[in-house]
Amino acid sequence: MKKKSDKAILGNDIETVRSVDNRSISPNYRGSIAFNVESFNGNKNSILDSCPTRALSTSNDDKQATFAVDHGKCIMCGYCSQAAPEFITIQSKPASPVKLKKQLSEYSNSLTQSEKSFEEVGNELREKIKKMFGRSLAIREVDAGSCNGCEIEITALNNPIYDIERFGIHFVASPRHADVLLVTGPASKNMESALLQTYESTPGPKIVIAVGACACSGGIFGDTYATTGGIDKVIPVDVYIPGCPPRPEVLIQGLLLAVDRMITNGK
Amino acid sequence: MNKIWIEKYKKDILGRFENKIDKTWENYNELHLFLKSEQDIPKICNYVYSDLVTRLTTMICTDERKLGNGFVIRHVFGKENGEDVFIFVTSKIDESYPSIALTIPAAILHEREIHDMFGIIPIDNPDTRPLVLHDHWDKDTFPLRKDFGLNTKIPRQEREYPFLKVQGERICEISVGPVHAGIIEPGHFRFSVMGENIINLETRLFYAHKGTEKLAESMKIDDVLLLSERIAGDESIANSTAFCQSIEKITSVTIPKRAQQIRTIFGELERLYNHMGSLAGISMDAGFPFGSARLNILKERLMKLNESLSGSRILFGVNRIGGVRCDIVDESRKILTETMESILPDFENIVTLLKSKSSFIDRLKDTGMISKQFAHDLGVVGVAARCIGIDVDTRRDHPYSTYLLHKKETPQEVMQREISMQKRKGDVLTRFEVRVQEVRESFDIIRTSLSLENDGLYTSIPHNLEPFKSALGYAESHRGQTVHWVMTGENNSIFRYKVRTASFFNWPIIEQAVLNDIVPDFPLVNKSLDLSYSGNDL
Repeated sequence: MKKKSDKAILGNDIETVRSVDNRSISPNYRGSIAFNVESFNGNKNSILDSCPTRALSTSNDDKQATFAVDHGKCIMCGYCSQAAPEFITIQSKPASPVKLKKQLSEYSNSLTQSEKSFEEVGNELREKIKKMFGRSLAIREVDAGSCNGCEIEITALNNPIYDIERFGIHFVASPRHADVLLVTGPASKNMESALLQTYESTPGPKIVIAVGACACSGGIFGDTYATTGGIDKVIPVDVYIPGCPPRPEVLIQGLLLAVDRMITNGK
Repeated sequence: MNKIWIEKYKKDILGRFENKIDKTWENYNELHLFLKSEQDIPKICNYVYSDLVTRLTTMICTDERKLGNGFVIRHVFGKENGEDVFIFVTSKIDESYPSIALTIPAAILHEREIHDMFGIIPIDNPDTRPLVLHDHWDKDTFPLRKDFGLNTKIPRQEREYPFLKVQGERICEISVGPVHAGIIEPGHFRFSVMGENIINLETRLFYAHKGTEKLAESMKIDDVLLLSERIAGDESIANSTAFCQSIEKITSVTIPKRAQQIRTIFGELERLYNHMGSLAGISMDAGFPFGSARLNILKERLMKLNESLSGSRILFGVNRIGGVRCDIVDESRKILTETMESILPDFENIVTLLKSKSSFIDRLKDTGMISKQFAHDLGVVGVAARCIGIDVDTRRDHPYSTYLLHKKETPQEVMQREISMQKRKGDVLTRFEVRVQEVRESFDIIRTSLSLENDGLYTSIPHNLEPFKSALGYAESHRGQTVHWVMTGENNSIFRYKVRTASFFNWPIIEQAVLNDIVPDFPLVNKSLDLSYSGNDL
């Protein structure tokens, strides 16, 4: 008997990304900003002022201005690149998650991250989860006032294309079942105590991941009467995932970093 | 066209209330009436609402004490039947004004919000509980007053919020949130149940309150555009379009045709990926993950399309004031057409599949029923209104971008639409069907918009904005009408930015929709209404 294809049975072929070479980021994607390393001789202030979240800073070196971008603040609006297109360009490669907040800053003459595909990171993650937890990693997502953009991307991790459960990661309904808290939003004042209670209800050892520019630094919402200006103002954060919002490929890198941190006992 | 209607209503209102109205002025499709005394608010608002058959669009309060006007309240009413008119009832007030909530229930939440943010008392509003500022805020904090600093930190206080208590034998309470079981935004729901049936539901929102409106007052106008995209991440096009429109109206700039077409295309793309998401959610919450998985595949394909067209998976950075930043070149048009062609047949297959599953349809039918009267009184908009036959759609009623062309109907089509509206029942199944229908419509709109004009992407706006001018911008997001009102300040700043998204009007209806359903139906009803927390809480 002729075997029916997946498409005939399911209505779709198998859509999950499986190839380790699949780097599906579109060249148009606004992933992160990059500095052309040639020194900048124009008006520094016009660039600094163009940034709505004050993500850019510069060293006060008279001869040669060194610019730095804090990826934890950058919301990828591209205004700086409009102000100085010859000096700042937008690249499709997204900024990587980090363990320490100060690592989010990147200087115009320093260099960048590994480029692993979703599948590669996923496989590595599966091995580590197996070693550390025996079987699976449980995540509780907490929205501390985000605009829902980060939630869309976190939900996308569960769709058949990324299907993060195949690596042994699943989202649980209660913080009491969780190993990892995935927190989004600038921590609004109205969510502050709920976030703290959620953290306290999570059994140790626990890892907190701040997802998105708002969670890392307050993002465009900043530090106002209604926000606290970042998750780490309320609870300790172990991993920062930059982006507005971070795409699934970056989210899974962040999870890998979180598991790494658990294995090395917080280092 | 709207000039004729404005003249008509002006004559009508002046003929009746001439001695109560100080002056009137017009601005595009807005008719402004300035009252002599705030005591006449209820009378005139009721006349505009009931006799002129309008809907409450929004209520705007401004702190104009520095300009010598005291506080000013604007009740905005919109005609929604093809006459493109907004009527503003404006009055200067002191610290209080008469409430209109008893005759226009949609105003209750607005009045409570204004009370929290400005400390102005709506006399006779039956609900005096705090709304935006939760129990831990100091009672004398009024963030939108001009003398309140944006960065003021208020120490926490301990108070209890008085939830409605349902008491009696066998009644128990289930409280859910603000941290939910799923990956969704924060909000608190308190159910009173008898057995499995929901007797009462009280929602408590504003956990995601981020001070958006206050923040806008301290930002450059271009930065407020970015902020408007982030009012609700999934409504970025609708909200930024509405914001851009109000600035474009203030500066009297007409944007190029091509920019209008591109706004239309992206507006519909946004509707598409979100409708796919909520249809997938309905399927999931009805206990049919297979349908949900397949719809989510389509959603992801659409988000990939967004990414290749605009550089952002959720369409940030498309709009700019005076036009668009993101062009649709020939190559992207090809990708767009190809993706649409690959999605539409799959979508139709899935819909046919879902409709053939009796257990699925059975779960949706008669669940989460909305009554037409409640929907009308609460001013419900968007899919939630159309599912019960309240025929409102900003794209048709107040055409913007290029919707005037797309939403033209022959008399026969109008008739057919009216017949179909009459048949709608207001349950989850109708909302499912309305969304499926709108997905098809969006595909059509995009297809017919693809022959783009060649007249440029944007018009520059003047460098210096005239201070203290205001205008209303509006758009139909996938949730319904979103309305932004901007008043410019000195030195190119924004004096007041008032946002009213669809969710603000649609949230209260969920308390009615779940009555007598069982608790496990709640997620399904919630998903079918597709409400935004962030867009509501600001």
